[in-house]
Amino acid sequence: MTTEVTVRVRALTKTFGEGALAFQALRGVDLDVERGEFSMLAGPSGSGKTTLLSILGCVLSPSSGEANVLGHDLGRLHPSRLPEMRLRSIGFIFQGHNLIASSTALDNVALPLELSGSSSKVARARAAELLERVGLGDKLAALPGQLSGGQRQRVAVARAVSTTPPLVLADEPTAALDAQSGLVVTELLRELARERGTTVLVVTHDSRIFHLADRIVHLEDGSIVDGPGAHA
Amino acid sequence: MTARTRAIARLGVRMMLHDRAKLIGTITGVVFAVVLGVQQLSILLGLLQKNTMFVDNAGADVWIVPPGTELLQPGSPMGVSVLSRARTTPGVEIAEPLVFSGATLAKPNGGVEPLTLVGTSLPSRLGGPWNVVAGSAGSLEQPDTMLFEDAERETYGGLDLGGLREVNGRAMRAGGFTWGLLPFGPAYAFAEIDVARDLSGTPRDESSFVLVKTLPGEDAEEVAARLRVAVPEQDVLTREAFSRSIVTALLRDQLGASFATSTSFGLLIGFVIVALSMFSSVLDNLREFGTLKAIGCTNRDLTLLIVCQAVFYALFGSLLGLGLVSQMAEGIRSPQLVPIVPAPLMAGVPFVMLGVCIVASSLALLRIRKLEPGMVFR
Repeated sequence: MTTEVTVRVRALTKTFGEGALAFQALRGVDLDVERGEFSMLAGPSGSGKTTLLSILGCVLSPSSGEANVLGHDLGRLHPSRLPEMRLRSIGFIFQGHNLIASSTALDNVALPLELSGSSSKVARARAAELLERVGLGDKLAALPGQLSGGQRQRVAVARAVSTTPPLVLADEPTAALDAQSGLVVTELLRELARERGTTVLVVTHDSRIFHLADRIVHLEDGSIVDGPGAHA
Repeated sequence: MTARTRAIARLGVRMMLHDRAKLIGTITGVVFAVVLGVQQLSILLGLLQKNTMFVDNAGADVWIVPPGTELLQPGSPMGVSVLSRARTTPGVEIAEPLVFSGATLAKPNGGVEPLTLVGTSLPSRLGGPWNVVAGSAGSLEQPDTMLFEDAERETYGGLDLGGLREVNGRAMRAGGFTWGLLPFGPAYAFAEIDVARDLSGTPRDESSFVLVKTLPGEDAEEVAARLRVAVPEQDVLTREAFSRSIVTALLRDQLGASFATSTSFGLLIGFVIVALSMFSSVLDNLREFGTLKAIGCTNRDLTLLIVCQAVFYALFGSLLGLGLVSQMAEGIRSPQLVPIVPAPLMAGVPFVMLGVCIVASSLALLRIRKLEPGMVFR
């Protein structure tokens, strides 16, 4: 049986700085993430989780090795094509929600759709549906500052999946939330991903949500300690 | 306009309106630049107009002036032969002498006030009084009668219509008053030409200038060319050329550098306020701009966003500034100074401020272009 691979990483390294100050964040990482998989990347602080996520999110270039996302070899992709790749193929959820403070929940979710070319009317209708889906149907006009931490992260989840990207990358999405809110947000993300066949890679060291993962990949000192394909 | 462009423009305006303090600060910068710049220019135009108004309102199409004349100041007097040759030049309808001289008016309670004495020929009154607000210009036909500046009545010791004052030691009656005829120097005071000659000690066969009115349908430039041949020892200028000459001389020697400095200073301060405010706004929202880049915005999108903000600042600030400066111009309007805010200046201000704001936003743009989207993961 063949499975479709969304993320394929081979011998990936990333070094920051030069000479005596050089720090090797990734030391030859190999990883495959299959289509529709809900994976978690766990490990202590400084293990290279966020660096790996940044490379897969096309916001950081690797020092060596291969990083293939959705069939694109990121090392060979022209820099001018990266924003389009991020817009259309990857949804992001950040640790601090990173919503636009001046925009309502509705406008925040509609933004990636409008950037993708949808008319304002279509984008806002779709954004309203998504916010309804994440339980914020009554908060469409609320600014991020008027929402709780959990509600903001739910808006961020809706924004990340708004363009139905094949891949969603989440960086410590529960770090700023209490246990209950963290669980709700992660369950919501998993449900939405399942419905859309979206591949999700969550960087976390929050063990309270590990049970929701299809697979947990452990990173330590820039290397995967349990190898590609290790399942929870 | 694409959906993407509209979305970015809306986002730019939303971000700008969200940070009220910076919005007010930036708009204040633009308003300050507009008010200071336009006010300075309107005063400059008003002062220039004060110095060209005599030439513009004298009723002469061509002026015969002493050689080297750039400003409306008397030079070497002209003999009567200049007048005779001018009168016989083809295309000339009327040629009249004009006497221009300094004089003093003795106040009833002691002390003297300077005047710019103008002697005009009757009945043509080329170079005669205009803006007459009391009495009449025709009263110059009465013996020992003059028209004075209304704004100087108190200075002249409460001079009323029909009142007497000694001008250069001779009692003269006020036959009327003009409004706003105040150049850089003392106010204009008008008399019949021979009266003015007597008062100023100018011989009867001499004058300061010769004013020429061309026949209907004649081109002033062509008549001026003929006059240059007829009176080669004098300078001959059309009304427009003389007016331009005055403006050029004043800008070059007296007003230009001073007003250019103050106007540029206003624009520079506005530029610095807008630049710092926009840059600081970008610094405050660095994470948001990083997020926008991470979710797929290009440098071009974010440039558009910042330019939209700059356009809003420029247009809104210009409107407020122009409203304010119009009120101020009206407030400081007086016979001594009438600030002029012409329509082309009003129309040009938003474009100038647009340029200033867009250039001022370049610092913010530079910061955004250098921003790595990866910063959102740190």
